[in-house]
Amino acid sequence: MSQHPDTTPDISVVVIVFNDAARLPTAVQSVLDQTLRNVEVIIADDHSTDASFEVAQQLAARSDRVRAIQLPENSGGCGEPRNQGVAVARGRYVMFLDSDDTLEPNACRNMLEAAESTGADLVSGLCLRVHTDNRHGKTVKWYPWLYRETRTFDSVAEIPDLLVFDTLSTNKCYRREFLIDSGLVFPRGIHYEDLLFSAQAYLAASRITLIPNTVYFWNVVEKAAEKSISNRRHEINNFADRVEIHRRIDRILAEQGQDELKLHKDRKFLKHDLVLYLRDLPFLDDEYRHHFAEMARGYIQDFSQEAYEGLSPIHRLCAFLLLREDWKNLTPAIDTLINPGKVSSSLVERDGRVYWCAEHLDDPVGREILDVTDLGYHAKPVQRLALRNQVTAYTESPTGVTVAGALVNPLGVIPPNAKLKAELEFRARRKSLQTFRFPVQSVKHEGVSVAWQADVPLAAKLRPLGIIDEVWDVRLHLTVDGERTTSRLTVGQTSLEEGGAVRVRPRLGRMTADRLQPHASAKGHLAFRLTQHGRLARRTSMLVQRNMQSPPAELAKKMARKVVAARKDLHSGPRKIETYHRMIRLLPVRTGTVVFESHLGKQYSDSPRAIYEEMRRRGVPFKAVWSYAGERPTGFPKDVELVRRWSWPYLRALAQAEFWIDNQGFPLKLNKRPETTYIQTWHGSALKRMGFDEPKYRIKPEHEQSAYQEAIDRFDYFVVRGRHDEKTLAPAYRIPEEKLLRTGYPRNDALVRAKDAETLDPAARELADRLGIRTDRPVVLYAPTFREQNGKVQKFEFPFDIDAFADRFGDEFTLLIRTHYLNSVTLPPSVAGRVVNVSEEPDITPVLLLADAMITDYSSVMFDYALLQRPMVFFTYDWEEYVDNSRGTYFDLSEQAPGPVVRTAEDLFRVLEDLQSLASEHEARLKEFVTQYGEYDRGDAAARIVDRFFGNRGDAR
Amino acid sequence: MTQRDIIFVANEVNELGGVARWQALMAKLFAESGHRVTIVGIAPPEVPMDLGENPPFSTVTLYDERPPGRWQARTLSDRANLRARRREAMREADMRRAAERLSSVFRAARPGAMIIVTQVWAMEWVALADTAGHPVIGMSHESYEYSRGSSRFQRVERYYKETDRLLLLTREDADLWIGRGLNNVGYMPNPLPMMPEVPSERTEKVVASIGRLGHQKGIDMLLDAWAEAAPKHPGWLLKIYGSGPDEEALRQQCTRLGLDGSVEWAGQTDDVAGALRGASVFVQSSRGEGFPLALLEAMACAVPCAAFDCAPGVREIIRDEEDGLLARPGNVSELAHQLGRLMEDAALRDTMGERARTNVQRYSPAAICERWEELFTFLER
Repeated sequence: MSQHPDTTPDISVVVIVFNDAARLPTAVQSVLDQTLRNVEVIIADDHSTDASFEVAQQLAARSDRVRAIQLPENSGGCGEPRNQGVAVARGRYVMFLDSDDTLEPNACRNMLEAAESTGADLVSGLCLRVHTDNRHGKTVKWYPWLYRETRTFDSVAEIPDLLVFDTLSTNKCYRREFLIDSGLVFPRGIHYEDLLFSAQAYLAASRITLIPNTVYFWNVVEKAAEKSISNRRHEINNFADRVEIHRRIDRILAEQGQDELKLHKDRKFLKHDLVLYLRDLPFLDDEYRHHFAEMARGYIQDFSQEAYEGLSPIHRLCAFLLLREDWKNLTPAIDTLINPGKVSSSLVERDGRVYWCAEHLDDPVGREILDVTDLGYHAKPVQRLALRNQVTAYTESPTGVTVAGALVNPLGVIPPNAKLKAELEFRARRKSLQTFRFPVQSVKHEGVSVAWQADVPLAAKLRPLGIIDEVWDVRLHLTVDGERTTSRLTVGQTSLEEGGAVRVRPRLGRMTADRLQPHASAKGHLAFRLTQHGRLARRTSMLVQRNMQSPPAELAKKMARKVVAARKDLHSGPRKIETYHRMIRLLPVRTGTVVFESHLGKQYSDSPRAIYEEMRRRGVPFKAVWSYAGERPTGFPKDVELVRRWSWPYLRALAQAEFWIDNQGFPLKLNKRPETTYIQTWHGSALKRMGFDEPKYRIKPEHEQSAYQEAIDRFDYFVVRGRHDEKTLAPAYRIPEEKLLRTGYPRNDALVRAKDAETLDPAARELADRLGIRTDRPVVLYAPTFREQNGKVQKFEFPFDIDAFADRFGDEFTLLIRTHYLNSVTLPPSVAGRVVNVSEEPDITPVLLLADAMITDYSSVMFDYALLQRPMVFFTYDWEEYVDNSRGTYFDLSEQAPGPVVRTAEDLFRVLEDLQSLASEHEARLKEFVTQYGEYDRGDAAARIVDRFFGNRGDAR
Repeated sequence: MTQRDIIFVANEVNELGGVARWQALMAKLFAESGHRVTIVGIAPPEVPMDLGENPPFSTVTLYDERPPGRWQARTLSDRANLRARRREAMREADMRRAAERLSSVFRAARPGAMIIVTQVWAMEWVALADTAGHPVIGMSHESYEYSRGSSRFQRVERYYKETDRLLLLTREDADLWIGRGLNNVGYMPNPLPMMPEVPSERTEKVVASIGRLGHQKGIDMLLDAWAEAAPKHPGWLLKIYGSGPDEEALRQQCTRLGLDGSVEWAGQTDDVAGALRGASVFVQSSRGEGFPLALLEAMACAVPCAAFDCAPGVREIIRDEEDGLLARPGNVSELAHQLGRLMEDAALRDTMGERARTNVQRYSPAAICERWEELFTFLER
């Protein structure tokens, strides 16, 4: 067996300790238990006043791989003990460990292997934060995106994120000679010593390797006590240290000419470091705020404009407002920073753009930074906005509290004459327990805000259980003309210090708790906690706390967990599928029941809708069940049974239905009984390859392919629009000849009929009226499909300047924009009336009917719109990329397109200049296109389908 | 160099297929370096592979016939099924006996021995056995993605978690397993199985495919790709070597696509080098792979490859656009396009073929053996 001739340890692990005698042995043992045996431990005690050093010496006596040293006096930080440890280390590599943390058993082996195979000066691995007091054993990976794969860099400049984000010194392995040669030591007497040390190490290393292995367990305690004011002030004071550390790093970066790294670090400072402190500002007084702002300004004012790029609009404007010390506008912005999505400012509109506030708009920089148009606040109705709700007054009496507050009213979204009603809701933070609602006595519209006040008789009406529902959150539901918006209450500077007097009677008795204590949650919102005031309550509570770990308590907890798990299991997917298949076996088919679904329940639309309406029109006796997805169904007819997708009633309806009619696919895992007839209407002819023609299905293993095929084999009928579908879709889904319904699409009947109609279709008229679209001039529709990259749907972006478009064509025609349902778009107010977003319309047919011309790219809407024989323009600015990123096409669009194919915005604009000739020049091609790609669409599809399947059903039944 | 006892533990000693070929090759290489090698198979092979006369290693098989799978009571009626329970108890007793035999093999080994578990099913026995303090190296001979589609995925996570090292075939696969929370993972490429003295001259207008005619090898996709490529390259012949369960269906597909004139069903061959010498292009259309020996062999014969990029092992072996061409998995048109490029450009074939023969040397038996020796000493530190 080979022995290493020398006794040099491969790795020295420096374990630092200060007054932590209890946990030190565990940390040391995690090193001794390493799978790599050739390691040594150096315990560096920062002159503890407890038994830490004695324990360290005992550990050293027990193993010849452990040594213990003690600093002559306490250094007050983590840096100096580490320096002293490194000074006596003998290993070829060095790692650091804190006495309250542990190393993963393979950490040293993986570090060493990486270091030796790449020759790196520094190897860094994944750190796992372990929440030791969390009931579910929660762990969080520390910047996991840096550690997805093994990577080696010759300079940290190749991976700036490493320098700016992973500033720990503990999840790393350093070549000892590298530390010595580079003179790397931790600074003394300053906080955040890790930040400086790791930055210096990164910059000095001539090779860095990152490994995806978990190497370090960082134990953290989750339930840190709520921050007191002095606590918050203390943290603000630490800011000085942080800035100082950053200045020192900046000096090194400047010396090395690392401008790019400096930029990344500045950006991260604005995005993360600053935010840590901004959170506390709303709670502090003006003097402290000013002090903080001064410090921050002194540092960030030298940042380049570039540092602000890539920041979210809210981050940017927070930094801007801080520099200007505009507390009035900054405080609400911080609220949005902490609670993304919340609208905190009343906003202003100027020249078609939306700004955070009316101030600073004369300054061009301010104008740019405060522009929040792209956040799309202005395009949302009140029920889809989360509004800032600032507590303005809070008083207590033993019977309850009186709270007053003010909700922002951005851009006057709540009209002055609106009917307002409000109620306060108290809800236990632990899920699925009780909620209590209280009326709000006064709600008043005050222009830029809505003021409210409520007397809440908590003592009499709020009945918690006790023990298990310790924390209560508060929300306000405001109803504006019947639409509801929900907000949480922001505490801010309103004082809660005097609170805690409200009596409470838990159902488990007053021994468990007898008072409610108000506080601000981590996100700054008003919440209450059950507390113990009386002696009995305090004693019981202590008893309960102490006994939570006792055997009977453990048993009770185990039982409770079992109940929760059983309940979860009862409604789990596999259980539902299993029960569904039992239903098929046991329950009878309900004759005359038809389950409809369109686009997986997203809408009441498309061919299933057209068939449903035809059946209703004829008075066919049947029971209609419509499936919907999401929280609440919108836009569905009143006289049908609505079932939520995947709910128990949904499964039961499917199990017993005589007919299934949908356009995409009922859940693949649900079998269909033979007595049920499944009519698959499908939702569009294909340009892109589909089904088994798609690489992702082709490549699947055999059992997955056959499962997919079985799901497709449930179709009894498959609607096709023409020979093209028969040659593409049918083979792609391996649908046999006899299952094809050659009727054309029911949804397209209206289009075929409208082709020769003299007047505007009523549905189109209704749409125009509702959205205020002028019908006295042409309407052009832009309907692009979505893009994907590596299987991920890309965000929609205009491929042309929408403002320029509106300026050029706004007087001639109205542009409607409809994105694919996987995308969405917000328009700036500047184009209002000239460009209209119709993406939210559930049914596209009225939109098509209204449009006199259409711009599209590769969307299958081209096949449907062609039926109207109205002009189309194909704006294929990214054809090669699109074909390459998708999965190939069935035909070459540029050869087959029944209209001009344009590649640039200028060409598109030029074509649109003359809508008249656009129509006349392509008439013949359009006709040909329809006969080639949709010859079965003749306007009677719904009628023929209803005839065939429901024709002989008289009114008798 | 330390002379060691090296014990392979595999599902079978010599089940016909890539893994057994690799195992026999490594055993031979280790024996040639002076180690004492034993191969333990759990069960006898279904289709045995010839190990040649007097292989330089000893073999042991634990069971006389393939043991039944594990049985678990799931429902109340299962629990009442006494026969099944008795059968399960017997199976477990058999398993303990087999593990005991394994323990005696391990105990008989000298200090410094290494246990290499070739496949995860075999690990179930190793986990029960006494490894006598010798390091255990687990192996998974397929890509991470391909494991995901099978029950092996859970078993790797369960049984290989505590081994001293788990070896994947590539860094990329190893990293993916590490991402799943296994921290004992490394990687080890397969060695080049042969280095023919005479490479292909690339003069025949032949594209060769060698592999079992089953779903995994994706010959159905190859035929579709050929249907796109062949009409543009008259005179070229696709020779499909191998046999398997899908042969009949594939031949029908071939006829349906009208390719009978340009496809030859060449059957299974023992002379891989000969088959490759008669080809100018090699194609691999697999749905899943590990570290395919077939690509290594083709490249060793200086035949340029076009392949679906279906596994990290494939993109590791072929350097795309340098010594071969890759297509996105399942993208039939792209594979057809890459085949077309090689068929119509003799110069491209020559440069890529020659580079392939040189580049593939990094997997030479000597280079791979050295990595194994390094691993053995590393595990002793």
